[in-house]
Amino acid sequence: MTRNDKVPKARRDMETDRRLWRRSRLIDAPEDEAGRLLDLAAFADGLLDDDEHARIAALLAADPDAAADVETARTSVRCDQTSAELERVIARACAIVPDTAPPRGQVVSFVPNRRPSFVPYFAQWGSIAAAILVAGWLGFSMGSDTSLALTSSGQSSDAVFPELFDQASGFLRDLGEGLRT
Amino acid sequence: MQDGGLEELLRGEKGAWDAFVRRYAGLVVAAVRGVAREAVDVEDLAQEVFLRLCKDNFRLLRSFDPARAGLSTWITIVARSTARDAMRRHRPISVPIDAVPEGRLAIDPVEPVRKLKLPEALLSPRQREILTMLYDREMEVFEVATALGIDPQTVRSAHHKAMIKLRAYFKSEVE
Repeated sequence: MTRNDKVPKARRDMETDRRLWRRSRLIDAPEDEAGRLLDLAAFADGLLDDDEHARIAALLAADPDAAADVETARTSVRCDQTSAELERVIARACAIVPDTAPPRGQVVSFVPNRRPSFVPYFAQWGSIAAAILVAGWLGFSMGSDTSLALTSSGQSSDAVFPELFDQASGFLRDLGEGLRT
Repeated sequence: MQDGGLEELLRGEKGAWDAFVRRYAGLVVAAVRGVAREAVDVEDLAQEVFLRLCKDNFRLLRSFDPARAGLSTWITIVARSTARDAMRRHRPISVPIDAVPEGRLAIDPVEPVRKLKLPEALLSPRQREILTMLYDREMEVFEVATALGIDPQTVRSAHHKAMIKLRAYFKSEVE
């Protein structure tokens, strides 16, 4: 690789870094609470390098509560005496059942009901049979009523429609007979 | 249990949890006492701290890194921070509720997350200054070194560390 190859790559990297820096100035980052707590503890214990120390010092300057936390942690407060209050705190905390199983999605399989069910079977075929019975009864009833009505009036079919029947033959009359002259 | 007992604790062994509580209850009580407004709050606040430590399968406790800080120091920081947050949440309303406009009584559906300016959250003041000079003022490395009275190699090193942090942040954002 020649020097000429390296220069453009360095320039490209510089340009990429410039874009990244400018982009970083346009967005806000959600605070990483766990990371912040660890940073504060590391700061209190003096375990940060110079840059990190300066970064946390700048954050503490803007956050007096956090600065007080760090100062308290440095003085390593203790409450060694046994007291009723401490025993109550221990008893309550020991009563906590730690949530060791993270909530996860659980697939519940629905087992099909394999027991034979006769209710739908009878409902299905029963409804068909009932429909046939009703239709048969209705048709029979309507036919009987019509027949009775005609009988009770004392009229026969040839009396009802005399113009349609030929009295001599008993067959239907030729209605086009008069038109052929 | 400086660090060794943490493994058993994180595996969910009840005995390890009880031992952890007995060992650090005094520290937690002392830490929250410095934040509590009244003595009667101390027990409840200490309970909040222990609940937070074991919540979601010890999610917060798993973030502890013994290479970066001592466990006692970290627990003190966690205890005070948790107690302060709990007191902010439980702060009683001191004005009649009828006097408060309805809009102000609305509760956010999601707990607000504090947002920080990204460079301020990630970079040290010196790193920010160097990046500003290099990329916003278009200065060369030797000019930055002269202006800050430091070695050019120090400028390159600070620039390199800062860019590693920014790349790591944006990479995690993309992922």
